[in-house]
Amino acid sequence: MKRIIILILVVITISALHSEINHRGFIRSYMGLLTELSEYAVLQNTFDLRMDYRKDNFNFYVNPVFVFNDIRKEVGITLRQSYIDIYFPDFDLRIGKQQIVWGKADGVFITDLISPRDLSEFVLPDFEEIRIGINAMKLNYYIGNSTLETIWIPAFQPTIQPEPSSIWFPNIKDFPANAQVEDPQEVSAKFSNSEFALKFSRMGSLFDLEVMAAYLWDDTPVPHLILQPDNTVLVKPKYHRLPLVGTSVNKTVGGALARAEAAYSFDKRFSSSDLTADGVSKNDYLHYLVGYDSNWFDVDVSLQFIQQHIIDYDDSINQDEFTNTLSFLLNKTFLREKLIFNLFGYYGINDEDGLLRFKLSYDLADGINILAGYNLFFGDEGAFGQFNENDMAYLQVRLDF
Amino acid sequence: MSGTKQTNAIRISLLIMLLLLGTLLTAEEISGMEVMEKVYNRPTGEDQTAEVTMTLINRRGNQRERIIKQYQKDFGDVDKKIMFFIAPADVHNTSFMNWSYTQEGKNDDQWLYLPALKRVRRISSDSRSDYFMGSDFTYDDLGERHPSEDEHTILREEEYDGKMCYVIRSIPQHDYVYSKTISWVVKDSWLGKKKEFYDRDGELLKILEVQRVENIQGYHIITKSEMHNVQSDHQTIMELNNVELDTGIDDSTFSERMMRRGL
Repeated sequence: MKRIIILILVVITISALHSEINHRGFIRSYMGLLTELSEYAVLQNTFDLRMDYRKDNFNFYVNPVFVFNDIRKEVGITLRQSYIDIYFPDFDLRIGKQQIVWGKADGVFITDLISPRDLSEFVLPDFEEIRIGINAMKLNYYIGNSTLETIWIPAFQPTIQPEPSSIWFPNIKDFPANAQVEDPQEVSAKFSNSEFALKFSRMGSLFDLEVMAAYLWDDTPVPHLILQPDNTVLVKPKYHRLPLVGTSVNKTVGGALARAEAAYSFDKRFSSSDLTADGVSKNDYLHYLVGYDSNWFDVDVSLQFIQQHIIDYDDSINQDEFTNTLSFLLNKTFLREKLIFNLFGYYGINDEDGLLRFKLSYDLADGINILAGYNLFFGDEGAFGQFNENDMAYLQVRLDF
Repeated sequence: MSGTKQTNAIRISLLIMLLLLGTLLTAEEISGMEVMEKVYNRPTGEDQTAEVTMTLINRRGNQRERIIKQYQKDFGDVDKKIMFFIAPADVHNTSFMNWSYTQEGKNDDQWLYLPALKRVRRISSDSRSDYFMGSDFTYDDLGERHPSEDEHTILREEEYDGKMCYVIRSIPQHDYVYSKTISWVVKDSWLGKKKEFYDRDGELLKILEVQRVENIQGYHIITKSEMHNVQSDHQTIMELNNVELDTGIDDSTFSERMMRRGL
C-alpha cells in the first residue's frame, strides 16, 4: 500500500514539475554522528517539494516531504502543509493543514503553541520541521496595520514525543516499581474538543504587538497515578484543556531591539508526588521571556532570559517553582553571506546544564549549501543535561530549486 | 515734477537691481543643506513598481544574481517600500519592507519576513549596517536618509560625466555607519550622480555611480547604478526593469499581510 502511495505522489510530483503549478523545494542529504558513542544518529535523505497554484483570489499550496531514513531503512512520506487560501478585500481565509507560528521568541515556545511539535529528535531539527501542520480554519481580518486572527482547530493533535527506545526519550521521575503504564488517553474527534484561538496584532512605527487568547489542549499528556486496591499504581497519561492568554511585543531601543513575550495558562496540570490527587497538581502558570537583539562589532547578537513560574506552588510538584533559562545567538556572515557562522546556546540556570549549537554554512553556489554543525550538551540533569551523551557532529548538503 | 519722477525712476531701478542682485547672490549661496533637500524632494512619482536585478560581482569576476519585485509609494509623511525576492530559490518569498519618515530625526522602520521561520522580524537599527542579501548595499542604504541627519557642506562645483555638479560633503550629526559621504549632485536636475561612502576610520569604503537615468512618464528615474566596495573589490549592479509609475498601488500592499503572502 505504501509503495502505491509513493508512486502516486511521485506521479503527482512529476506532473507538477511539468505544469503551470509553481514549484520549488530542496533535496538534502543529512548525516549525524553521536561523537561519544561513535554511532550514526541520522542518515537521512529528504526531498521537500512546495507547490502552489494561484488563480484570481485563490491560492492552493501543497508541501509533500519524502524522507529516506537509512538507519531504519524506511521511506517516510508526510504532507507538511496542504491548504487553500481565499483572499477577500479585507480578510483572508486559510483552510487545511497548516503551520501556524505565533510570538517573537527564538528557540522557545511561549505563545507559539498552536501548531504541535515533533520532538522525536528533541529541538534539533529546523523549527520548520519541528512544527506539525494542523488541520485548521484560519481567518485573518485586516484593519490598517492591525490584524485580527481567529483560528478553529476541529480535532486535537498532540505533540509527537520521542519513542521510549530513542536517545531523545526524556528522563522522567521513576514510577513505583509495580506501576502499570497505559498509553495516553486519546482526545476524541468531536466538536466539543475543538481548539480555538484569537490574536490581535499590530505592526507600527513605535512597536510591534501581539495579544492572544486561546482555548487549547495541552500538547503533552500528564501521567495520572491511580492507586489500585491491591496497592499497585496505574499510570494513565491524560491530555487536559489549556486556556491561556498571552502577549508579545518588540520595540527599538536606541540601536537595539527589545523583545518580550508572555503566556499565562490557567489550571495547567503538573506531575506531583501527591497520590491523593492522582499525582497531578492543577496550577496557573506563567511563562515569559525578555530579549535583546543588537549588532556588536559586525556580529548579530541576541540574548534571552526565559522564566517558567508555577503559581501557588507546593512542594509535591515535581517541577521547580521557578525554572530559569538563558539563551543566546551569535551570527556572523563572511564573504557576502556565502559563509555564515552561527552559535545558539541555552543555559539552564536551575540545573546548570545547557546546549551549544555550532553551525558553519557555506554556499557553494546559489542554492547549493553545505552545513557542518556540532551540538554540545553539558550538565548532569535538566532539560539539556539529561542528553549529555548525545553530542552530535553533523553534515548537511542541500540543493534548493 | 519731472525731477521727482526721475528720482523715483532711479529709486525703482536701484530697487530692482538690488532685488536681482540679491536673488543672484542667494542662488550663488545655496547651502549644502538646501541642495540635499532638493535631492531628497526630487519628484519621482507618487508610486513606483519595478523588477530589480542585483548582480553581485566578486574580485575574481564571479557573478551571482538576485531578482526582486519592488513596490514603493509616497504617503506624504512616509515613503514605504516593499521588496519580494524571486530568485535565487533559497530566498524565494523572502520579503523586506522599509518605512522612511519625512519627520526630522525619526528613524526608518524595517522588517524582514523569512518564509522558513514564518515570522516577520523587525530589524534593529544596529543591524542596518549589514549587507542586504550579500550585496554591497546595506539595509540602511535601502532607506531614505533625511537631510537633517547630516551636516552638509558644498566643497566645490565640478563637471562630472558631462554635467555640472555640486560636490557635497555630508557628516552625520550622530553615530552612523559611515563617517562621511561625498555626493555629486547635478545642478539643474538635483539628481545624485555619484556618492562616496567613508567608513568609521575615514577610509573610502564604497562608491555608488548612477549609470542610467530614464525619463519615464516625465520623471527622471535612476534605472541602473553600481555600488563598488573598493576595500573588498566587490560590486553590485542594480538594474530596474519594467518600471511603472503612478499606477495607484493599493496602500495595503505595504503591510505585514503582503509580506507573508508574497507574490
